[in-house]
Amino acid sequence: MKVYVDPERCQGHTLCAMIAPGVFQLDDVDGHSSAIDGEIPADQQVKVAEAIRSCPEQAISVIPETRYR
Amino acid sequence: MSTETIPDDDAERKKNRYQFDRHTPEYRERFESITTEMISECPVAWSDTYGGHWVAAGHEEVFELARSAGYLSNDHDVRGERRGYKGITIPTPDAPFVGGFLEMDPPEQRHYRQALNPYLSPAAINRWIPVVDELVRACLDEKIETGSIDFVDDLANVVPAALTLAMLGVPLKNWSLYCEAVHASVYTPHDSPDITRVRQAQQVMYRDMFGQLAEVRSNPRPGMIHALVQAEINGKKPDDMELLGVIALLIGGGFDTTTALTAHALEWLSEHPDQRARLSAERDTLLDSATEEFLRFYAPAPGDGRTISADCEVAGTSFREGERLWLSWAMSNRDPAVFPNPHEVDLARTGNRHHSFGLGLHRCIGSNLARMMFKRMLVAVLDRMPDFTCDPAGAVHYQTIGVIQGMQHLPAAFTPGPRIGDGLDETIARMQVICDEQRIAEPVTVRKASARITEK
Repeated sequence: MKVYVDPERCQGHTLCAMIAPGVFQLDDVDGHSSAIDGEIPADQQVKVAEAIRSCPEQAISVIPETRYR
Repeated sequence: MSTETIPDDDAERKKNRYQFDRHTPEYRERFESITTEMISECPVAWSDTYGGHWVAAGHEEVFELARSAGYLSNDHDVRGERRGYKGITIPTPDAPFVGGFLEMDPPEQRHYRQALNPYLSPAAINRWIPVVDELVRACLDEKIETGSIDFVDDLANVVPAALTLAMLGVPLKNWSLYCEAVHASVYTPHDSPDITRVRQAQQVMYRDMFGQLAEVRSNPRPGMIHALVQAEINGKKPDDMELLGVIALLIGGGFDTTTALTAHALEWLSEHPDQRARLSAERDTLLDSATEEFLRFYAPAPGDGRTISADCEVAGTSFREGERLWLSWAMSNRDPAVFPNPHEVDLARTGNRHHSFGLGLHRCIGSNLARMMFKRMLVAVLDRMPDFTCDPAGAVHYQTIGVIQGMQHLPAAFTPGPRIGDGLDETIARMQVICDEQRIAEPVTVRKASARITEK
């Protein structure tokens, strides 16, 4: 499983990086989020779930690895 | 569809009706009961007020609508060049004036944001923390020995105003000239005898703004105004009137909102000293969630207007092109389907998908700045005035919350403490030197390093 931020939906609210800074990174220029490498360390699973739940744009999803480019 | 079905269709479409007037004091007083009623009975309703408009109150409905960019327009077509849309304010203000890129659609809206994002991203905002800390310290030092402070007049008005000007590239010492004009124009009713004085203060502010714009054009200095005069918007250089609208948007967005959030949070913490002690002790884990919760609960900017730009069916309602719509961030933030116990403040709330910065492509461009200033002010007060008690008799809330849910005054008492630095005027002068020498108002693409506070 990998975590993915849909760049079409993300508007740079930054909550995900506030909640799970080890998993999400914010662009320096526009503050939009992306997954650092998509990996979800075992100790970050709860935080990633909370980031997904908190995203105002519902831009974050967890997808099976095979569907990830 | 034949034309003769339209009247029936209209009655059917608008069958959920609610007498909604958010500009009355009654709306402020009955906010929770009106919100509960609308969310449970008519999360999207037609209101006959202000020429008739839709009101979206439910969380899911606001979420869907706000993100339906293909069917919504923010355009304020003051010259009647397009479809005559009226922007984000309901009712339309007397003086037609484009409220910057918040009253534009893409591509122009996107081009403005692209020009300004490198000044307002988290990386850009973090560079200002040392400056904000100095401004906050000076505000508190002005009052710390006396044991009394007005959290609005002496802190929450000052810091957002001075910092916003610094980021624009306007001299920090002009903060008071801008501050009073911005706040008073929001809280003064249009029929108040005071309105003449407020309009005069606004004229003084616009004259200064216009002068700053001309100065930056002829003698460039870093800041968001410089980005604006350089910007190409959809292949054109915008004229001064358009840029004044943008600067006014940045100032309006930067000042009154953060002031409102900070004042309300401090008032709540004074009323809940156990929660205040907990927040202070557990700030490492609680400050972020508490900030989001205060944002959700007090939603400084309670909503935004839109115009439906194409017939559509969204969130279970049929809309027609040209109809007006009010997206209530404040009411959707109280939807029990998303927020358990929605009318209670829970500093550790999780899954806090609040709408206080808006949604979709118009998400508040200053959200990172607002959060940063709020947190630095709050933490400094918790550290230096931990036992503050606000005086309910002296607290003045805005009479109406149609535009901003703000506060005009919030006096408080606390155990006096020692000063630790110079006063506000001296600090502002020192911060000006630091801004000028270190060029902190450059975009983050040019300057990445944080401000350094040099001793003097």
